[in-house]
This record gives sequence, C-alpha cells and structure tokens, in this order.
Amino acid sequence: MKNQKKCILLSILLAAILIFAIYFRMQQQPITLKIGIFAGNNWNVPQGETYAIIDEVIKNFEEKNPNVKVKYVSGIKKEDYSEWLAEQFISGNEPDVFFILSDDFNLYASMGALINLSDFIKNDNDFDSNVYYPAAFNFGKFEDKLYALPCESTLTFMFVNKTLLSKEGISIPNNNWNWNDFLEICRKVTKDTDGDGMIDQFGYYDYSWRQAAISNGVDLFSEDGKNSYFADSRMEEVLKFIINLKNINNGYEVSSKDFDIGRVAFRPFTFAEYKTYKPYPWRIKKYTSFEWDCIKMPAGPSGGNISILNVLLVGISAKSEQKNLAWNFIKNLCYDEKTQQMILQKSQSLPVRRDIIISAKAQDIFSWDSTENNAMTPTDISAAMDESIMPYKFKNYDSAMLYADNEILKIINGTIPLNNSLNKIQKEINAILQY
Amino acid sequence: MFKHVTIVDMHKLLYIYNGFVIFALMAFMCITQEKINQSMVARSFLEYANAVPTSSLTMIYTSVLSFLALIIVSMIYRKIKQNLWRYMLFATEIVICMFLLRILNLSYDGIVLLIVADLMFRYEGHHQEYTLLAAMICLYFIANYNMAIFQAKIISFDAYVSYYNVATQSILLALKNTFYSINIIIFVFYLIMLVKNKHEEKERIRLLNERLEEANQRLRAYAIEVEQMAETRERNRLAREIHDTLGHSLTGIAAGLDACIITLDSAPEITKKQLNKIRDTARKGIVDVRRSVKKLRPDDLEKLPFQEALMQMTKDYSESSGMEIIFDIFSWSDNLRQDQEDVIYRVLQECITNANRHGHATKVTITIGGNEKYLLIVIADNGQGCENVKHGFGLKHMRERLELLHGSIHYWSDEGFIVEAMIPLNLEVNHGKNIDS
Repeated sequence: MKNQKKCILLSILLAAILIFAIYFRMQQQPITLKIGIFAGNNWNVPQGETYAIIDEVIKNFEEKNPNVKVKYVSGIKKEDYSEWLAEQFISGNEPDVFFILSDDFNLYASMGALINLSDFIKNDNDFDSNVYYPAAFNFGKFEDKLYALPCESTLTFMFVNKTLLSKEGISIPNNNWNWNDFLEICRKVTKDTDGDGMIDQFGYYDYSWRQAAISNGVDLFSEDGKNSYFADSRMEEVLKFIINLKNINNGYEVSSKDFDIGRVAFRPFTFAEYKTYKPYPWRIKKYTSFEWDCIKMPAGPSGGNISILNVLLVGISAKSEQKNLAWNFIKNLCYDEKTQQMILQKSQSLPVRRDIIISAKAQDIFSWDSTENNAMTPTDISAAMDESIMPYKFKNYDSAMLYADNEILKIINGTIPLNNSLNKIQKEINAILQY
Repeated sequence: MFKHVTIVDMHKLLYIYNGFVIFALMAFMCITQEKINQSMVARSFLEYANAVPTSSLTMIYTSVLSFLALIIVSMIYRKIKQNLWRYMLFATEIVICMFLLRILNLSYDGIVLLIVADLMFRYEGHHQEYTLLAAMICLYFIANYNMAIFQAKIISFDAYVSYYNVATQSILLALKNTFYSINIIIFVFYLIMLVKNKHEEKERIRLLNERLEEANQRLRAYAIEVEQMAETRERNRLAREIHDTLGHSLTGIAAGLDACIITLDSAPEITKKQLNKIRDTARKGIVDVRRSVKKLRPDDLEKLPFQEALMQMTKDYSESSGMEIIFDIFSWSDNLRQDQEDVIYRVLQECITNANRHGHATKVTITIGGNEKYLLIVIADNGQGCENVKHGFGLKHMRERLELLHGSIHYWSDEGFIVEAMIPLNLEVNHGKNIDS
C-alpha cells in the first residue's frame, strides 16, 4: 500500500516537473521566426543586393510585431540550398518559413513537412487567391492541397533583334504571331551576308521542341506524372515544325556567340534574363551591337502564344510553433502589394499579383529608356501570364525528359524516322514513370 | 518464496533488456542522422525516407522520458487494487507503447511484448480470456502491420541502414534481428515462469485452505467444550448460592419452627413473636433467592423472541411505575448474538430505571436504528436531566458491558437526559476481511 502511494506521488511529481520545465523554457525565449532563403535568385541570373527585399519585409514585419525576431542564415547559394534545407530538417532546426525550389516542392509536400495553407486562407478575410495568376497559385498545390504561396515568377518570352529585322525591312511581329510567321521570317533572314558562301545570319537560336510543344497545347504528362502523351498528334505537328525550322539553317549549328554579335533574329529568353541584360551595364558588356525587344512566343496551330511560368514558392513548416505568425509573414512576402511592387522594382522577377502588373508603368516592367518604344504593354504581359502554364514538378520528370530529349533529337536530326517513333517513345517513357 | 522473486527478476530483466535495445536503436538513428548531415546526403536521405525525421535531441528526450513513464506506469499497474484504475493504467501503457513505437520509427516492436507481459501478470482467468486474446491480437496487429495510421510519415529502419555500405548493412540487419529474437526468448521464458508461478500459487492456496478447515473444526470442538465448562461452573455457582442463601434461611426456619412447636402451648405470645421472626427470615430468604436468580438471564429473554421480550419488559415497568414508554424502531438486525441481546436488554432496563428514579420522568422515548455495520439505540426522557452526571455504578456497568462488544455509550442532558449506545454488528466477520486485504 505504502509503495503504491509512493509510486503515484513520484510519477505525479515527475510529470509536474516536466510540465513546469517546458513552460519555463517557453516563457524564457522571445519569439523567433526562422526563414530559409538562398542568396541570389531562382532564375540563374546575376543579382546585386540579394537580400534587399527580404530585409525590407522583415523590417516591416518586426515593426508590426515588436515581440518577434525574424532570422535567416545568409550566404547559402542556390545550388547548396536544397541540401542545406534537408540538413535543417534532419537536425530539427528547420525554418518556420522557407523558400522552396521547384525540384524540392513535391518532396516536402509529400513527406508532410509543409502545412496545408487552405485553412489559413479560409479563415483570413483579407486574403483573396484570385489576385494571383492561376499558373502561379496552382504551382503551390500538391494532390489538390495548397502547400505554398508564390512569391515571384518569371516567364519565357521571345527576344527579337530589332536592328537585324529593320535592316532586312521586316517589321516586328505582333503578339499574336504564329509558327508560320516565325518560319517565314527565319527563312527571310537566313542568308549569307558577306558572300563567302557560308550562311552567317540566322533566324533563331535555342528554340527547343519543348517550347514548341507548350505553344501547341501539348500536355506531355498527366498531372500526377504517371502517364505521358508523346503520341499526341499535336506532338507530331511540333516535330514537323522543328524539323522545318532546323532545315532552314542547312546544317549549321547556331551558337550563342552568333546571337551576342547580333546575327540572330530570335532567341527565347526568360523575363529574368531579359531584365538582367537589358539595362545599361550588362547590355554594354554583352550585347553592344544591336537594339532588342521581346514579344510572346509564337503560337502553334493547335495551341496559342503560351509559355511556361516559373514560380518561386514559399511554404510553412508543419512543425513550426508559430504557425499564425508564419502565415502573417508569408502574406507579407507573397501577398502584400508593397512587397510585390518592390519585387518588380528591385529584382529581375515578375510579381505574381495581377493588379501589380496591370497597374505598373511599362518602363517599370521593362526598364526602358523613355525614348524607347516597345512591342509589349503591361496588359500583354498580364495576358501572357494568365495564359501561361506551370512546369511539371513530379519526381521522375527530369529522367523522363532526359530520355525524351535524347530520342526526339534523333528524330529531329533524321537518325530515326518520325513515323510511329513517338509511340515508342511514349511507351518507353511510361515505363520510366512507373519505376 | 524463492520462485516469486525469480518472476519479478525476469520481469525486471525484460524491462532492462528492452530499455537497452531502445537506447541502442535510438543512438543508432541519432548517429546516422548526424553522419548524414556531415556527409551532405541529407537531400537524398529525405527523398528515400519521404518523411520528416525527428531531431536527435528530441528523439533522445522523448524516448528516455516515455520509457521511464512506461516503467512507472507498469510498476503501479502491477500493484494497484482497484479495477478501474488498473484498466486506465493499462490503456496508458498502450498509449505510451504506441508513442515509443512512433519515436523509434516502428523499427523495434519488442516493446509490445512488455505490454503483453504486464497484461499476463495481472491475468486472473475466468472471463478475461477473450479480453486477453483481443488485446494481444490488437497489440500484434499494431506491431506487425507497422501501424497503418503512421505509415505514411515513418522513416523505416531500412532508410537509416541504406546510408551505410553493403557489408555494414548486413551486419546492422543481423543485429536488429538478434535483438528482437533475444527479446522473444526472454519473453517466452518469462511466460513459462509466470504460468509455473500461478500454478504453485494455486497449490499453496489449496493447502492453506485445507489447514484452515482443520483449524476451524478444532475451534468448533473447543467451543462446545467451553460451553459445557461454563454450564458446569454456573451449576456450581447456583448450588453454592442455594446453599448460602436458601440453605441458611431454611435451616433457620426449621430451627425456629422446632422451638415454636415446644413453646406453642405454654407461651402462645412468645410463639407468635417467634413466628413473626421466622416469617421475616423466610422473606429475607426469598429476597436472597431473587437476588441470585437476578444474576442469571431474565426470564422474559429466555421465553420470548428478543423484540417481544423488550416490549414485555417496558410494558411491565410502565404499568408498575405509570411512566409512558414509546418505542421507535427504524431498523433492526435479525441476527443479534445472545450476548448482544443481553447487553441491549440490560442497557434499556438500566436507562428506564434511571429515568424514573433520578430524572422523575413521565415519558421515555426509545429509538433503535442503524445499518448493517452497527446498531444505534437512543433513550431520551423528559425528566429533570442532570448538570453533572455522577458516574454511578449503573452507568459504569453499562459502559463496561458495551465495551466488551466494542461498542460505545454517550449521554448528555438536553431537555431531559439522553443516552446513546452504539453496538457494532458482525464484528468478527469484518475484522477478518480487513486482515485479508
């Protein structure tokens, strides 16, 4: 009897001490919000003040929440970030809010490391998901649940060498141009200008079958990445078009140097690249000899002027102890109009809010000189972003695309005939996807 | 006695061994996590594991604490008497076990055997077979099917093992299996000991019962003997009493009468005087006889059922003294012992007499009540009462009588005099139970 009572007393005492210790520990610490962020930007272009925007957001956030300290580890390069983040998760030091590379998103969403944001959105009257471009907002979904918000984005446009086109007497195509226009201009400009018998002026550089497939409305994979649709008839149109395009060059492989010295009319570029190289110092360094502009990608017969919207996502750790605070922070970063405005002004990225783009001045978006006159208006950009599609992000995407690239290159180069070979590719890729 | 210690030792061994395995496993997982971080393969480990790992520090804290909690709960569970508490504690054990399994990423389900061992320890047969069977199936289902609830978020042992090279991997897997097998061996051994122990316990109880029965029989014989002895003693006392009182008086009367016969004719006056003296002696003799008979049981008690005897006694008294006596009986115990009946009778008699003699009361209310554990008698009169109760022979006598039955008496003056007597019932039986528990 006595022992029994002793045991009960002892266990109650232990439990009390434990609860007290935890309570004490929680009381002692000021609230800290950890942010996971990498240096530079997501688009592989050089950037100056890499932490300018986040520092500004943190400053505003800390002013509004005086008892909160927001911290991040600076100096993590983008290529090391994925490993760094994984290490934080293993050692239990994972940040409350963190930027997610698109390769990592499915992993963290599937392993339950990210919090489902739908409940926050439901309970937050200030938040309206319709302000986002659908491709940007839906990119943060995994199996129909929202795990991350878009922060910034970049879109692929077609670079146009204005100097070359005007020399050939061709006007810049409008934003509704299609493959035939593209082919026609390429045919016109591809020629030997110095009479040495070698072609030295070209229509395009770096235009891939993937970009053509997107603008022809081909869905290469199912949403879950379990099936592929390479045998689609639209894919055949893509390959025929690419073969036609390639034949114009008569076997010559156009290089980036040709573009840099102003001998190529078209080159697809992301907005980030455009914005990096367009302003004064970079332009002098890279592209001195010509004036350039950008327009939408050419439309395929079964598609439209569609391109891929790449998005940088931000999510909240499921283990975070400050979930509401984290939600407020993520809103300041991804939803706040001032921050989105700042992204447009201070970074090479495009904001993800439609109203910011539409209400922006064209100069702000494109960093023009006031004398310049460009082909695209903010409304065009906004329309392009609305039409844009998300990149695939399922697990085996890279290996499947590596195989597809290899095989399709063989078709384009004429090593294997086109007829029926797409069926074979689809079969092989489905096998890769099942693995 | 020696065997009993061994089963407790086995149980301790089971716990110590499991504690060791849990600690080893936890250390292995923590070290592997640190190594993974150091060798920069965290991203691919996460890809393989597809779940958020628990940090090393949390793992150590939670597993050590929850294992300690399991030990404490198990200790209390083994000792506690109340069934409700026991079930609750067992449920707690299962919860802690599931929690531990979760922390250890389900890599070691030997802890389930600990719970089964605890369950078996308190297994008491009868209708518990099905409960036991169901509980064991459930526990094994949980363990073997790796808890479907958690499965999506669990990092398998294999994920940790896959960090090492092939040679180390096979060693680790072999070690894990060995750990598990040893646990099963200890558990089976424990079960054998437990069954053996229970069997011996039963045998011991059977022997004890036999001995108890024997002792009971001896006690009954002894009781009869004691009764006979008491009877003899009483007979002797009566004989002595008769000899002392009646004998003495009768002798005197006989002698006096002899004298009277001689003097009757010659001196009738003297004879008359003599006869008066003889009559006095006879009366004295009657008083003496009455006094000695009074020391025996009252006549009414012998003849009538107890309750009627009480009624008769009070009725008689009321008729002779003119005092009103009211009975209020709320409850009554039917199986009073003879000595209890005697005491009650005497207490009532004494109180009524006191009320009449000292309190000059005209009305007495007797209330009898109580429950299965005791009988309570309250005698209240409307007399003068008494400021300072003189502890006379009557009160002292009542107290002594009641104390012999482990009862008690209280009295005080209010509106009249109130006496409250309490007699515990079936004291022997209750007492016996207390010793058992």
